[in-house]
Amino acid sequence: MSSTTTRYLINRQRRLAATARPAAAGPVEVPAVVAELEKSTEPPARRWRWRRPAVLALAAVLLAGFGAGAAARMAALRADPAARNLALTDPVRTSEVKGTLSQAVNTLFSYNYADTARTDTAAKTLLVGNAVQQYATMLAEVRKQAPQQKLVLTTTVTDSGVELIDGDRARLLVFADQRNTSTADSAKPARTSYAAAMFAVDAVRQGGGWRIANIDTFNQ
Amino acid sequence: MAVRRLQVPKNRWAAVTVGLVVLAAVFAVWSGWSWYRAAHDDSAAYARARDQVLAAGEQAVQNMNTLDHADLTHGLDLWEASTTGDLHTQLVQGRADFEKQVQQAQTVTTARVLSGAVTELDDRAGRASVMIALRISVQAPQSAPAAKESRMLGELTRTPDGWKLSALGQAPMGDSAAVSPQPSAQPSAGQ
Repeated sequence: MSSTTTRYLINRQRRLAATARPAAAGPVEVPAVVAELEKSTEPPARRWRWRRPAVLALAAVLLAGFGAGAAARMAALRADPAARNLALTDPVRTSEVKGTLSQAVNTLFSYNYADTARTDTAAKTLLVGNAVQQYATMLAEVRKQAPQQKLVLTTTVTDSGVELIDGDRARLLVFADQRNTSTADSAKPARTSYAAAMFAVDAVRQGGGWRIANIDTFNQ
Repeated sequence: MAVRRLQVPKNRWAAVTVGLVVLAAVFAVWSGWSWYRAAHDDSAAYARARDQVLAAGEQAVQNMNTLDHADLTHGLDLWEASTTGDLHTQLVQGRADFEKQVQQAQTVTTARVLSGAVTELDDRAGRASVMIALRISVQAPQSAPAAKESRMLGELTRTPDGWKLSALGQAPMGDSAAVSPQPSAQPSAGQ
């Protein structure tokens, strides 16, 4: 360390000396950094006149090379899809996505023959894109049979996991129970059937809220 | 030659090189620091762990639902290699009986992961939970192949050999089923 320091001091002396002479030649064009050094009155050391720029240029090249390498590695790390996906890594967003989309699924796939407006309103506000048609197809049978059979379909999300949050896109895997109750025959007890459902929803964020853009039933 | 040529505009050369070195140094410090921060970013490490857990969980669940009666040793070795803890112990203890059952039934079971998600991850404790949507196909002799969908919930534990399943089961039918006095339909049961 000390020998480096000594060498630095010697080099500095030489640098100061090297720049001293031409000060008178063209003071107007001399930049401030150099002008500062030119106040020295020591005699020039000729050898360093050309060596110094060469050493500095080499240093610049090495530093720039390191910088470029580091920047490339940083960019590779940032572009990593694992790092872009905020599922679990951002707990606030994750629970927001999980909560709002689970609630959306509960509402959308629950249908009461006596109160169809609730589900229809939910469909208008919570669905967008492909999901509109997919949902209409999925619920068509229920809508058809509901009035005669007095159907009450209740969907409850039992498990859900956020697969992806990337900017304004998210994907949630859903396990849900469906209870379908028919009270058409008032003389008998209500008939109830149960079904286990699993599917995924792709959502986009629009106007501050998440909307379901695709319902993935795994080609079922 | 070179000396003479460089002598003439040497102030400008000096200024330019000093400027370049300063610029290069600033750039090097900035990019070096950014690189360091990106490489030591806790959330990036956590994200990588999450993806490792998901990959290990999906593979292990698929392994545990794949078995060919004609290649039992390999299949059950894979089951044991995919698990740890209590689940592993159960498999090892029940292996002989299970081998007999499968040899009698002569079934070929294959599974495909449809979708999966990590639901919990404690990076420090080395514990995680996954949920996986699975399609299982069972081929028994003299019968058509039966396909069924399966809702799997698994727990994983970190071991020196990577993340392994320490618990695995079907997602149970939830409260809505329990409320009913007489459940009229069975959930799509299966193992």
